[in-house]
Amino acid sequence: MSFAMIMQLIISGIALGFIYSMVSIEYTLIFNSTGLLNFSHDKLIMLGAYAFAGQFVLRMGCGYVVATIATVLSMFITGILIAKGIFNPLRNMASPIFAVIGTVIMGRIIKELCRIIWGATAFNIPGFMKGTFKFGSIVITRANTYIIIVAVLLVIALQLYFNHTKSGKAMHCVQQNKTAATLMGINVSQNINITIGISAVVCSIIGILVISLFSVSLTMTNMIGIKGFAAGVIGGFGYFPGCIVGGVLIGILENLSTLVIPSIYKDCVAFVLMIVFLLVQPKGILGHKK
Amino acid sequence: MKEKKNVKIALLAALFVGLIVFPIVDKNTYHQLALAQTLVNVIIVLGLNFITGLTGQMNLGTAGIMALGAYSGQLMVQKLGMATILTIPVAILMGVIIGYALGYPSLRLKGVYLSLTTIGFSEIVRLVITNWADFTGGTTGVQNIPALNLFGLKLDATWKLTVFLVIICAVLVFTAYRIVNSKYGRVFKAIRDNIEAVEACGIDVAGLKIKAFTLAAIFGCIGGCFYGFLMTYLNPTQFTQDLSANYLLMMMFGGIGSVPGSVIGATAVTLLPEFLRFTKEYYWLIFGIITLLFAIFLPYGFISLFQKEKREEAGIFKILNDRKGKRKNAGVPKSGGMR
Amino acid sequence: MAEERKSVLRLENITKKFQGLTAVDDVSFDMKERSIYALIGPNGAGKTTTVNMITGVFPPTTGKIYYRDRCINGMKTFEIARLGIGRTFQNLKLFNSMSVLENLMIGGHEMTKIGLVNFCFNFGGSKKEEILLRERAEEVMEYLGIQDLAKRNVKNLSYGRQKIVELGRAMMTGPKLLLLDEPAAGLIPSERKEFVDIVLRMFEEGMDIFLIEHNMDVVMNVSTYITVLNFGSRIAEGTPKEIQSDPEVIKAYLGDKYQEIAAKERRD
Repeated sequence: MSFAMIMQLIISGIALGFIYSMVSIEYTLIFNSTGLLNFSHDKLIMLGAYAFAGQFVLRMGCGYVVATIATVLSMFITGILIAKGIFNPLRNMASPIFAVIGTVIMGRIIKELCRIIWGATAFNIPGFMKGTFKFGSIVITRANTYIIIVAVLLVIALQLYFNHTKSGKAMHCVQQNKTAATLMGINVSQNINITIGISAVVCSIIGILVISLFSVSLTMTNMIGIKGFAAGVIGGFGYFPGCIVGGVLIGILENLSTLVIPSIYKDCVAFVLMIVFLLVQPKGILGHKK
Repeated sequence: MKEKKNVKIALLAALFVGLIVFPIVDKNTYHQLALAQTLVNVIIVLGLNFITGLTGQMNLGTAGIMALGAYSGQLMVQKLGMATILTIPVAILMGVIIGYALGYPSLRLKGVYLSLTTIGFSEIVRLVITNWADFTGGTTGVQNIPALNLFGLKLDATWKLTVFLVIICAVLVFTAYRIVNSKYGRVFKAIRDNIEAVEACGIDVAGLKIKAFTLAAIFGCIGGCFYGFLMTYLNPTQFTQDLSANYLLMMMFGGIGSVPGSVIGATAVTLLPEFLRFTKEYYWLIFGIITLLFAIFLPYGFISLFQKEKREEAGIFKILNDRKGKRKNAGVPKSGGMR
Repeated sequence: MAEERKSVLRLENITKKFQGLTAVDDVSFDMKERSIYALIGPNGAGKTTTVNMITGVFPPTTGKIYYRDRCINGMKTFEIARLGIGRTFQNLKLFNSMSVLENLMIGGHEMTKIGLVNFCFNFGGSKKEEILLRERAEEVMEYLGIQDLAKRNVKNLSYGRQKIVELGRAMMTGPKLLLLDEPAAGLIPSERKEFVDIVLRMFEEGMDIFLIEHNMDVVMNVSTYITVLNFGSRIAEGTPKEIQSDPEVIKAYLGDKYQEIAAKERRD
């Protein structure tokens, strides 16, 4: 096994890892602001991919830039509608179990909608984000390069938003204490709407990025959805730096695992790691107390 | 009061006899299959109700549990030549193993970890039975499942299996009903309401949550085992995340935390497509939307239409009542506001 | 007083830090048998934190806790409760989807013996057990005078009644030591009197009581011994009489200004 090959495994691991990190960030946003896990998150990512590839690029023939903007905007609106129609009414019920089942059922609905609108057969955008870059003896695919760049930009943008804008700071308050936030004159419901909108935007970006890795299909996001959860547990649940560390770690480890186990079982690595962490270090690597 | 109870028991007995007679009289295999499928779903939803409906811990791994329950027994029959009747104890044992193996790491901790481990578990099970082709048959799966042999009595026709399922299902419904309405059901519900208070009563919450999950796994595995006999083949494409979601949907539709609710939910969602054939591919979409509306406006499901207390606890009836201003005890401080 | 009573609850140099914030700072006290021991102090003094450490909700950063000379550090909440320590909560924690009777019966769950597998087959035994549990709950309800509320949903009761139900649930666990976290908060005077009467009755019947309270009226009338906390530290301890005249306590409760005014008045 040459050094270049291992480096390539690591780099594509990092790229995949950033996808898991973004998935983790996307549901952590909602988890922190509502205390609910959104089990339809992988379906939202899938919806983003279908909207971009199925609707805007292939059906309407938009350029990639226009299609990206259109997808992001429509997903933001979808997110806010979901928040208004489902999350906010369900958030205050006697037991959170209603809301959690609600999100599962919503995922089911989104999937059925995608199936009915765009059909059950998998498809692809020919030539989208294909090709490679070469650095010396190391070859990196164009898709992986874009993923790493976009993920880093996204994390920076979210950081800036949370620390330097008024509505971002308000979100911080809502995450920490809803009652106090209400007393401070922050509209908690509206805040949650926007948070879920942002989460949907992150979903759509993930959706667009993974089109080149997996083809667009109804099951394309099953695995990244679960690995996003594993990333959260491993890094530190409900904590953004934890999401990033956990995601990248899973990405690298599962790629390297193909050196020792059959590659079809590499999807098990994240799950096994998650169970190990739950048993040994439930707080995750960064040990953030939540 | 007592008379009412007697009438209820008489009605249930009549229903039981009716269900046993139905597959014997109606020779239409399709109808028999629909009934048998309903009974399998009832068993699985009853199990799910313990952990998710009562205890309030999200279980998203129903498909994986079913798959293991079905595969473990059938593979032992095919590879080791085990008697088919033994698949049932094997399924029960499998349920206990799943219950503890997944429950121990995730339910000891407070929070959402059960949902995360079960959702991962379910996908891993699917991955393994798809790819470990030498052992599980891979995507072709297990074919030609032999008929269940009850100590010489071969259940080699659908109607025979269906009659046996009616009896098994009745026993399990009765057991589930007893557990839900006992000290265990009460404590499971208490965990959903307030964990700290349960602990302060000296009750081992983690242990009870694991018990509830194990019950769910056992019911799920038994359901899976019969599902195999019913279909006569198994393959990994049957056990998807959607299947797990469908069972949650059934539970929510019928009524969370209630045995009659689970039965009604499973029955309605399984049988209605037979009557609503024109809905075809929109079926799950329509049912999904109805159930989501239920979650918002009638959270305790269909059954709560007949239960005044539950009906008015939340949802549309509460909103209507509040609007009428008929709510008693309005203005009582919720927590120590007054000093 | 030289009488030798056994220690029920002893804290030795308990400190609790939350990420740099010291909520409880080196607190020690020793609660003897046959006493109503009160822990008082202004808001944020660390009283509830102390109770949470005693009941094992979180561990102390340093220090040791003894219950009847047995170290209970590191034990889980339910294990501590099984030793015979019952508690009520500052903000009610009831099972809101259930009736008063059911709430109490959950309190008595640990009295029952039949396991889940046995339960599925042993029809007679489990029925007998359920009846016993119900009878016990009915006794407790009668003791507390809430038998007529048995079938009512706790969610629909008044705040005062809910507090009594919670006390009843704690009684159902059969405690030898009862921790009451601000029992009188939010009660109107008549309810408060009722509550005090019940607590005194329980004490006379042999239960030891550890009380956290805000309401001086209740504390001074009920307790036999008091520890005062302020900003996480112990500032005084003694009988109600001693506490009432302790300058440190007056300062903590009424501020420095009051102290100066009082001193000035004395000089005048």
